[in-house]
Amino acid sequence: CTAVYRNHGYVPSEEDLALVEVGKSNRDDVTRAVGRPSSAGLLQGAGWYYVGSRWKHFGARAPEEIEREVVAISFDDKGTVTNVERFGLEDGEVVVLSRRVTETSIKGIGLIRQVLGSFGRVSADQILNR
Amino acid sequence: CAGASEKQVPLDNFTAEEIYKRGEYELEVGNPRRPDTAMRYFSEVERLYPYSEWAKRALIMQAFAEHRARKYEEARASAQRFIDTYPGDEDAAYAKYLLALSYYDQIDEVGRDQGLTYQALQALRAVIEEYPDSDYARSSVLKFDLAFDHLAAKEMEIGRYYLKKGHYTAAINRFRVVVEDFQTTTQTPEALLRLTEAYLALGLTDEAQTAAAILGHNYQASPFYEDAHNLLLKRGLSEEAKGESWLRKIYRQVVRGDWL
Amino acid sequence: QNYQFSQLKIEGNERIEPATIIKYAGIGRNEALSAGGLNDAYQRLQASGLFESVELVPQGSTLVIRVQEYPTVSIVNFEGNKKLKDDFLAGIVQTQSRRVYSPATVEADAARIVEAYAQGGRMAARVDPKIIRRDGNRVDVAFEIKEGKVTEVERVSFTGNRAYSDRRLRRELSTKQAGLLRAFIQSDTYIAERVELDRQMLTEFYRSRGYVDAQVTGVSSELANARDGVFMTFNIREGQQFRFGNITTISTVPELDAAEFDKLAKIRTGATYSPVAVDYAVTRMEELALRKGADFIRVEPRVTRNDRDQTLDIEFAITKGPRVFVERIDIEGNNTTLDKVIRRQFRAVEGDPFNPREIRASAERIRALGLFSSADVNTRPGSASDQVVVDVNVAEQPTGSLAFGASYGVESGIGFNINYQESNFLGRGQYISLSFGSGTDTKNYGFTFVEPSFLDRNLRAGLKTWYRTSEYSNADYNTKAAGITPSLEFPISDNGRLGLRYTLERDTLTDVDDDSSQLLKDEAMIEDGSLWKSSIGYSYTYDTRTTGLDPRFGWYFEFGQDFYGIGGDYQGIKTTALLRAQRKIMQEEVTLRFDLEGGAIHSFGDYDTRILERFRSSGIMRGFESNGFGPRDMDVANEDALGGLYYAVARAEAEFPLGLPSEYNLAGAVFADVGSLWGLENTDGGRIDDGLNLRAVVGASVLWNSPIGPLRLDFTKALKKEDYDREQNFDLTVSTRF
Repeated sequence: CTAVYRNHGYVPSEEDLALVEVGKSNRDDVTRAVGRPSSAGLLQGAGWYYVGSRWKHFGARAPEEIEREVVAISFDDKGTVTNVERFGLEDGEVVVLSRRVTETSIKGIGLIRQVLGSFGRVSADQILNR
Repeated sequence: CAGASEKQVPLDNFTAEEIYKRGEYELEVGNPRRPDTAMRYFSEVERLYPYSEWAKRALIMQAFAEHRARKYEEARASAQRFIDTYPGDEDAAYAKYLLALSYYDQIDEVGRDQGLTYQALQALRAVIEEYPDSDYARSSVLKFDLAFDHLAAKEMEIGRYYLKKGHYTAAINRFRVVVEDFQTTTQTPEALLRLTEAYLALGLTDEAQTAAAILGHNYQASPFYEDAHNLLLKRGLSEEAKGESWLRKIYRQVVRGDWL
Repeated sequence: QNYQFSQLKIEGNERIEPATIIKYAGIGRNEALSAGGLNDAYQRLQASGLFESVELVPQGSTLVIRVQEYPTVSIVNFEGNKKLKDDFLAGIVQTQSRRVYSPATVEADAARIVEAYAQGGRMAARVDPKIIRRDGNRVDVAFEIKEGKVTEVERVSFTGNRAYSDRRLRRELSTKQAGLLRAFIQSDTYIAERVELDRQMLTEFYRSRGYVDAQVTGVSSELANARDGVFMTFNIREGQQFRFGNITTISTVPELDAAEFDKLAKIRTGATYSPVAVDYAVTRMEELALRKGADFIRVEPRVTRNDRDQTLDIEFAITKGPRVFVERIDIEGNNTTLDKVIRRQFRAVEGDPFNPREIRASAERIRALGLFSSADVNTRPGSASDQVVVDVNVAEQPTGSLAFGASYGVESGIGFNINYQESNFLGRGQYISLSFGSGTDTKNYGFTFVEPSFLDRNLRAGLKTWYRTSEYSNADYNTKAAGITPSLEFPISDNGRLGLRYTLERDTLTDVDDDSSQLLKDEAMIEDGSLWKSSIGYSYTYDTRTTGLDPRFGWYFEFGQDFYGIGGDYQGIKTTALLRAQRKIMQEEVTLRFDLEGGAIHSFGDYDTRILERFRSSGIMRGFESNGFGPRDMDVANEDALGGLYYAVARAEAEFPLGLPSEYNLAGAVFADVGSLWGLENTDGGRIDDGLNLRAVVGASVLWNSPIGPLRLDFTKALKKEDYDREQNFDLTVSTRF
């Protein structure tokens, strides 16, 4: 069994990141230098986050995140860069997700109609099975 | 079957009103479950007597009958034709409402195609804006919220798909769409909880606390806030939120199709 | 001069409501109105398309709106049409019963019908609409059609072609000269679009053979006087044939070194230039970049022409493309299929760098699910300049089938069977099949369930159970088989997959016919006929035909083993292996397939194999009845086939198009199989030859991709066989999409 590796997300390279100067650059400078963030914070003026991770797929096991780089650029209320931090995989937490789901009021079509719904395919091997 | 012979009777020598009444009778009393004969009567009225008051009423009744027969495309076509030919008529409101209903009734489970939900929302908004004080508008507003909620649920479902697979940024972006564009829906509390979970998983604890704070501030009583609270204080999830044994997990996901 | 009307009077309207007319006119009571305003109202009424004529007559303080409504259409019918049926014509005609009649629409409809006929090659068709007035301002519309004869292409000729003869070029065109079968063949009918298509095919023919500047300068087609024949001439300017100069690769991306990519070009200097070879080189290089995990990579072939020695130098430049990301993946059209079933086919995640090749590969995987009649994936610009939204639009097709049947067999008596199959159970992409068949003495119950992505991982979990009592055709004993097989299958490398399975089964061999082979009678005595078998097995498959670097060549390798003896009465090892190489040649129209397949059974422990454990001849070679070849006991009247411990076969096949239009979905194939089934533990007790006797069969077949699945009609002739083998020269089988 050989492992298959895949990258997801995008983290700016060192040289691009060097163009962002704390205390001077504003959001447009950052966009020009390293591009738009993969994700951002909730409130107005919240930080910008660039996340890149490397995944290992090995046989029947669930894919495993083996490397993660998070670059967090935070801004003050005037929009200039206050801090550029780096996080790794070890800073993340293993979170147990809650199974609870909001119920939607719109009823799906009944089970029986679904099962009988998509008929019409006549498959050759049924007719010819000897 | 029995009704066949009566269907072939040529209607040319009946008056418009008689044919219309037969159609109405067929719809109310005859066999409400299968309104096909009623639909035929109404279309005959329009063909034979295109100048009568009955032709107008037959057209709207035909749209209603097709809708009940779950023939949504035809119902939409008839309703649209009524709106084009009799824009000033007081039944036009009902025709527009019927048009919206035909999309709304086709909306299906969250996991499925949401193209119809958009069309339903647009048609419902048209009714609400054009006939604000009609009772169609009131029921449209209710259906509008439900359809809007349905759209939010779709974003949540895709967000949960990425959250479960560990692609936190993709999940965060989907949940942020719900929090920003769909705040009025019932999905927002859960979106905020998922954001807390995703930010925490990335190690952005202050963003996680912000999300939990918004959740606590606006939805204090929601069970999702309780989960977020426990999560942040690392006290472990309440009983029904946590998954149990390995085998039950397989049963839930493979047989029942739950997400976790 | 402006007006003020306190009262509006509508005259002449019959069907249209006064309220409607006022709404279109848009004039309010006592509203100040200039002459221009009045004219606007007139225009609005006219534009509504409901009225033949409109008049606005101001009379003091009242405005009279006099309208003449268009009549409505009562019945629409067509006379004189044979080739195009009524409901087809009704579909393309705008005039409908119960709609407003307008002369302009009827004229346009007549033109549409003429166009439809011209499409079908009947240039001489004539259509003139007739209007029949009815009472109550209604009209009937009748289209009288004179179809005329088909315009056929009498002769196709070319000018300016030096390198290739008229006959060779004619083979490239989709338009054919009218020959003997002109009445049946449709491709000799003169159709305008087909000329454009032919022009393109001619240019491509030359371009793919190195004539880089080839052009079809013009196509002239004179109509024969009786308008039923056309003479077509294609004028071609060939230009020079170019060859490949030197091929180089440079890389402007630091982490990718050019030498590694240069090996993938696979273009020989001096070979005739062909754009297809360049495309394949680009495909291979971009595929390698994808594998090395480099993002935003683009391979541009830069061509420099040197006209003196007619060569083209190609420099493959590996460059960093613009930073573009996937903003969202939106999926639509999935009425029954759940979103995740489609979304999980994407390796790209929202927010990832945008890689067109990976998106195309995902589109292939979605189509390969077999749940959709069409699945197109295209991209549109996202909310920012560096964002792209991937739009997936699927159209579902029925995926479930429920077959009822009652069968009557001379020996098996009356039987009922129900077979339920669904490959998209509840829209989750799960496959489920339930079969229940019962004859008087043949029973067949089966249940299969497959979850293609177990626990949302790329892990296919399956469960199969069966209970079968049956009589093998042309063999004289009864069997009973029951069993259960849970299985798991997952990828272990880019192209390799590993499947693990456990099988628990109980096979029974009973009431062997008196004049059957003594060997079978002894076997039926073991454990009074029924053996428990418990085995674990694995099968490793390696397939590069779809995901490989070179789209024209790929191969498929499968190796599987089952270890019997984890409990149960029977111990043994069963090994099977298959190697299939596939190559597309002649502009990918002809596919060559070459198979090497074999199997071996080695039993140890208390019992030897019985007929049930050994290999059967059906499915190994074509051209024989089931159990038609292999060791046989010639001493007894029944001459039962006894199966074999070993089999090996080599198959060679060439599949080619039959030249028929593609909508028939027909292809032809010629093949040759050489192989054998041999080896028994003991052969005493009868005159049995279990030696390795080669059989050879050649044949031709018609492949039909029918609506109910891919079918094969094989016509075979055995060149070399044992005299006791039972040949079968025709067979209709479901060709599994291997």
